[in-house]
Amino acid sequence: MADSKDAGEEALRRLIATFQPSFLAPNPALSETSRAASRHLFSALRPFCPKSPLDQLLIDGFDAEQIWQQIDLQSQPLLSSLRRQVKHFAKNPEEISKLKVVPLGKKVEKEQREDWVEESDGFDEELEDDEEGEGKGGEEGMDIEDEDEEQGRESDNEEESEGEDEEEKGEDGEAGDGGIEDKFLKIDELAKYLEKEEENFEKAEEDTRGKKGADDEENTEDDDDDDEEEEEEEEESDEVSVLLGMLSLDLAAKMQQGTWKMQGMDLFYGVFLTLEHCGWDEQFILLLRYEDFFGDKGKYSKKMKAQLHQESEGSDEEDDDMKFKKQNKGTASTHQKQLEKIHSKIEEMEKANLEPKTWTMQGEVTAAKRPKNSALEVDLDFEHNVRPAPVITEEVTASIEDMIKKRITEGNFNDVQKAPKLPSKVPREVKELDDNKSKKGLAEIYEQEYVEKEDPTSAPLSFRDEQKQQASVLFKKLGLKLDALAHFSFAPKPVIEDMSVQINVPALAMEEIAPVAVSDAAMLAPEEVFEGKGDIKEETELTKEERKRRRANKKRRFKAAAVKRMGKKVQEGALPNQMNG
Amino acid sequence: MLRRNIRMRREYLYRKSLEGKERLLYEKKRKIREALQEGKPIPTELRNEEAALRREIDLEDENTAVPRTHIDDEYAHTAEKDPKILLTTSRDPSAPLQQFVKELSYVFPNAQRMNRGGQVISEIIESCRAHDYTDVVLVHEHRGVPDGLIVCHLPYGPTAYFGLLNVVTRHEIKDKKAIGTMPEAYPHLIFDNFSTKLGERTANILKYLFPVPKPDTKRIVTFSNQSDYVSFRHHIYEKHGGPKSIELKEIGPRFELRLYQIKLGTVDQAEAQIEWVIRPYMNTSKKRKFLGD
Repeated sequence: MADSKDAGEEALRRLIATFQPSFLAPNPALSETSRAASRHLFSALRPFCPKSPLDQLLIDGFDAEQIWQQIDLQSQPLLSSLRRQVKHFAKNPEEISKLKVVPLGKKVEKEQREDWVEESDGFDEELEDDEEGEGKGGEEGMDIEDEDEEQGRESDNEEESEGEDEEEKGEDGEAGDGGIEDKFLKIDELAKYLEKEEENFEKAEEDTRGKKGADDEENTEDDDDDDEEEEEEEEESDEVSVLLGMLSLDLAAKMQQGTWKMQGMDLFYGVFLTLEHCGWDEQFILLLRYEDFFGDKGKYSKKMKAQLHQESEGSDEEDDDMKFKKQNKGTASTHQKQLEKIHSKIEEMEKANLEPKTWTMQGEVTAAKRPKNSALEVDLDFEHNVRPAPVITEEVTASIEDMIKKRITEGNFNDVQKAPKLPSKVPREVKELDDNKSKKGLAEIYEQEYVEKEDPTSAPLSFRDEQKQQASVLFKKLGLKLDALAHFSFAPKPVIEDMSVQINVPALAMEEIAPVAVSDAAMLAPEEVFEGKGDIKEETELTKEERKRRRANKKRRFKAAAVKRMGKKVQEGALPNQMNG
Repeated sequence: MLRRNIRMRREYLYRKSLEGKERLLYEKKRKIREALQEGKPIPTELRNEEAALRREIDLEDENTAVPRTHIDDEYAHTAEKDPKILLTTSRDPSAPLQQFVKELSYVFPNAQRMNRGGQVISEIIESCRAHDYTDVVLVHEHRGVPDGLIVCHLPYGPTAYFGLLNVVTRHEIKDKKAIGTMPEAYPHLIFDNFSTKLGERTANILKYLFPVPKPDTKRIVTFSNQSDYVSFRHHIYEKHGGPKSIELKEIGPRFELRLYQIKLGTVDQAEAQIEWVIRPYMNTSKKRKFLGD
């Protein structure tokens, strides 16, 4: 057991001794060493975990993930129990003094250890994200962190300093199975220190009432559970991590003083390196105490506070909270604690509301208004309401072609159809022969035909079909309207030449009352009766010359006629010419 | 000519406005017809007009029984006349677009390609109407890739706006021997999955770009709708072994059409009534299918 322990410690020591950057490259030997170291720490912590299913960290053939998970298995219940313990101590600070009184109680020791372990846990969680989380599976990184951290804290829990980083993710090796007290840790000293710290704190409170309070809580050792807790409550639910955060800030401040511009983890690392550089032995480094770094507690706390002032943001609430907590240190009920939590959250949110929002919350943001390449980090997800264009794959083409083939075999096309032609000829009307006796007499029939001939429009409707009759009525109405369109100026009726005999009957005869078979229309017109030529004048209208001319014409005609008579007489025989003379 | 056109356009709009009344009348006649057929009493609201309507019903034949809509008016003469198409592009076309338009002019029978030059759209439409064209097709592009197709039916007919996607032209197939020449017979048409009213309307707009084919042609033009994206394919088929063995050979360009607007007027009428327009920003537009099924 001791052998393996030694091996484990040896492994740890070797880890610490390695040059930091060599962790960045995968190195099987280093990995082996770190595995051994973690196993050692795991088994060291095993006695404190009642419910742990694993007796030993299994490292052969397991990869980093699995080892971490095993560590987790052990550390989670451990963490909760530690927290409970710390809370308990927060409530009943007098028990801490009781702790001091009882020497060498393994339990006490464990409790104390567990406190620190818890703290370191928180610290680990906090810092993990910042630095060497990446690179080779955090194991080695974690180791280094814890190392540095330890120095930073100078905890007197280094009874076996040498790489006993009790703070390794909670599975830290409780190398200390010796008494709680050793050359470093003395319970009395612890108690005195605590009291001193409290006084300092109160002084500091008064000093910095005006300013935003820093917490010299940060300066205090982790021994001061209460304060730690208070701080923790301010920041996160994980009480311990807060303290460690503060501590790192502490160191940051200090380093900044000395123009070390690093923060957090880097500082510890830096400290470690420099010290090593200056020739300090590893063990020595690890034996450094808090007080060596932060010399005079009393003076320092104020300075630290002032510095932290400048750095810390929002230490307002912290201050208030601190005061509040201080006041209700004894009577902090659950309800009040909840209230405090809510208050702190409220203040956080109010602060966030006052500041300008992040660019992702700012509506329309152009590239100029947001940091460079920041759109790459945000997970942009848009809901597209449009179905994307179909990708034409082989299957799609094949399905279309199948459909086409099917249609072809069926002959089912969506072509344009030709319109059905209107009938070009009117359908012939089939006349039915009606063999009933005609109701009209013959005379009536002739009359009708005559009237039709004379005046077609006045013919009575003699249609056999009712529908035709209705259609013709409609057409007449339509015809009337169309005529109205043409202003009733029809084309003249065509003349039909007709030959008939005209009788020259004297007009007087026509005026007889007796019925005649001849109508006026059949008479000759006067110009047809007239014989003569030229202009006709009466005797009274004649001039003298015209009278003479007429007489002359008459005489001539008479003479011509007389001669013709004479000729005839001579021809006829002897005429009794003796009579005359 | 101008006045005639204006008068005809007004007639068209007037008849479109009468459609509502005509549909009402049609509905009433239909109800009476049904009532008479089934032997049921005539619905009470129609009692006054029943006699007049019944006479009209008797006088109707199959042409007049169904009320004609403006859609029928737009495509009234299609069955009698063959379509005459003018193909042109947007201004300053690139070489790939010109090639694509050339291919399209072979796809549509009786299509004429024209260089766009600097003509204004209204000029083009006027001259087409004067020369008795039935359709004008405009093709637009984006950096050589054809991306828009506008089909405008001419005597004040509807205009359909499509977006083109996944265009593969014949010119991209380098092997000229493999693809051969394009046949110019009038093709058979296949419209698949245009089941809604809007789908029918779109199918009609595309259908009347083609003339009446002979029943035995081997050329097939397919418009297949799949979730509002219409695939255009152009094949020649051969029947080798007799029954059920059909071999399809794809010729001609292939592209996807996406309808985004139908307007009840020609392209140059910017203020025409919009029959349908796509609304992609609505939350439910992903679930809805407009062209069919």
